[in-house]
Amino acid sequence: MTHTQIETLDAPTSTLTLSLDLGLYPREVLYAAAYVFLDRAYVLLDRSGGRFVVHVRGKQHLDDAALRAMAGEFENELLAQALRLKVVRANQKIIEQVTTLAIAGAAGAITEPGDEATDDGLLIDMDDPADDGFLDDPLHIATPWEAKKKDA
Amino acid sequence: MMAAPNRPTAATVKLHRGLYMQEAIKDAATAFADFASFAVRCDGEHFVVDIGDLDGDVEGDVVAEFCNFALANTAIRTKSGEA
Repeated sequence: MTHTQIETLDAPTSTLTLSLDLGLYPREVLYAAAYVFLDRAYVLLDRSGGRFVVHVRGKQHLDDAALRAMAGEFENELLAQALRLKVVRANQKIIEQVTTLAIAGAAGAITEPGDEATDDGLLIDMDDPADDGFLDDPLHIATPWEAKKKDA
Repeated sequence: MMAAPNRPTAATVKLHRGLYMQEAIKDAATAFADFASFAVRCDGEHFVVDIGDLDGDVEGDVVAEFCNFALANTAIRTKSGEA
């Protein structure tokens, strides 16, 4: 018996039953793969003995070839989701650190140990806004159009 | 639109307890409460959902959509670490 196999395939009712070994993929992978198909098929999961059983019925009519293609797509999706889960688990700590840094950065709270904290977190000194340089206008862009074109 | 003739007004669905979360099923039942009545009970390895008063005027397969919804809810809850 193969690890994943088509148990039944019935084109008149657009139904398909797949089974796969319980130990082949984690349950999360089965959920993720099934989730992808929910917009175009009705999916019902079950267990029988040592196997997951996946009942699929197309929302639109599916012929024999389309059902076989869908079975293949489901198996591909299982594999893709299994790899995705493996990558996420392998990089879990990195993902958490990057997310923490991003959130902390957005809150303006990133300070390296030993840094002298000279900023109070405000981007503009409200007591002397010109001191921050954003009011400088060396190219006179802020000059009103009327003032530059008096003759116009 | 006219309801399909001879459409069943009741159905029973068995959802494996190792694959579906009870809260997810209840959420799905709440979402579909306008189209049918739902009673969930445990029976061995399965949750048995007795569906009655199916609204014949609704286009589409309410029972199958309910099952999809229960599966989606379970998947989402599992992903968010509730399992």
